[in-house]
Amino acid sequence: MGILRSRQVVGGRAESLATGQDTVDVQEFQTLYEENLGLIYRYVYSKVGNREEAEDLTSQIFIKAVRGVDHKRGAPSIQKWLFQVARTTIADYWRAYYRTTASSLEELLEAGWEGPTEDEAIFASAQPVERVQRILQALPEHYREVLTCRFLLNLPIRETAVRMGLTEANVKVLQFRALKRAADLEPVVTGTV
Amino acid sequence: MPGEDQERFEDYLGLEQYIEELQAGHVAHPPTELTPSQARIYRMAALFRSASPEGAELRPEFVAQLQARLEQELEEKQSVPTQTLPVVREKKPWQILKKPGHVSRRALLSGGAAVAASMVIGAGVERVAEQVAKNDTQKELAATGPLIQQGIPTTWHFVTTVALLQDAPVRFVTDAIIGYVVRADEDADVEDRGKIIAMSAACTHMGCIVQWQGSDRKYHCPCHEWLFTEYGKLESSRGYINPLPRLETRVEDGKIYVKVPVG
Repeated sequence: MGILRSRQVVGGRAESLATGQDTVDVQEFQTLYEENLGLIYRYVYSKVGNREEAEDLTSQIFIKAVRGVDHKRGAPSIQKWLFQVARTTIADYWRAYYRTTASSLEELLEAGWEGPTEDEAIFASAQPVERVQRILQALPEHYREVLTCRFLLNLPIRETAVRMGLTEANVKVLQFRALKRAADLEPVVTGTV
Repeated sequence: MPGEDQERFEDYLGLEQYIEELQAGHVAHPPTELTPSQARIYRMAALFRSASPEGAELRPEFVAQLQARLEQELEEKQSVPTQTLPVVREKKPWQILKKPGHVSRRALLSGGAAVAASMVIGAGVERVAEQVAKNDTQKELAATGPLIQQGIPTTWHFVTTVALLQDAPVRFVTDAIIGYVVRADEDADVEDRGKIIAMSAACTHMGCIVQWQGSDRKYHCPCHEWLFTEYGKLESSRGYINPLPRLETRVEDGKIYVKVPVG
């Protein structure tokens, strides 16, 4: 993909940077960026559910990363650290948004809104699509169907109702309960208890 | 705990609204008053949304813009130890502590943006080619002139490159301000044509952050549905509010910079 390709003009400089002790190696950062951008972006997206905020927060996370990156860490621990940055960035974002209702914020955080705290769980939740698939497989048929229609197929409520032979009011109840069951199943299915 | 998890009709409606916003690709936040169990339901909705067709795909434009931005950061980071530090050390404390215009991103995002918008008044782009030494704070403050209120420290923020700026506005976010950069085409005012325009995204009504929609090529204010053209002019006919405040821009080596308050 050649990120930093436009840097060819200053290639000589990039090399000299790599020799400095505290400086950032452009090549290393390029690798870091290419390997983790998609992971981080999907992780953030699975928390906010929309592209605009996902892009904003992803940018913030990588800018913090550029400013604070420490190359004495090995690649896996840089990735772990990136996810920690992601986690705190998302938490700060929600904290700002819910600043007026501190109590419900605590509840949101308790409910794992900003992501799991254990390192392993962070990696598990970095694969949101796979996570969703596993949850879907574990759900009863009608729950699976309503969530598939609304989320994977992006169908409006009316079409979902027609397809399932229900009223729109039924669909609203069904999707609520399906997501509730999904939330209960999630830790079990994805092994993040 | 009897009653805590009892489902009410409004809960179904609230969730349906949230799902519809997500499906439309809008910025959507769950209601502020939720029980932990309800919060988990909304969190699931966001997670499931990320498995939708739109969900996990990175936009190539975004990848390119962020890449360019990070390169810029890397370059600045390199120049910090050699150039900025000695300057700071020479300054007397009262010179350094002049930051009256400090606005946190947090305050901006949550409606305090009107404050930021009021710091910036309309600005042309006549000074595009103006050369300002990047690390020369004094010179930079002098060049600010009346565009951003006096005494507010500013910095040149890299947004994108001329090559990457197509016909859609490009959004940028700094610690103090959110804005858009757009290329002024034939449909712009005569004095703007051919220039690169930057504006604050804070609606001049209440300071909510407007969002660009490609479908009708307008900025939409999420709070009171004000509409602005791609150059920031008010489009709605139901009242009068100011156009989106312009910010100064500068093009150097094909890179587009916007003058923003230091956050």
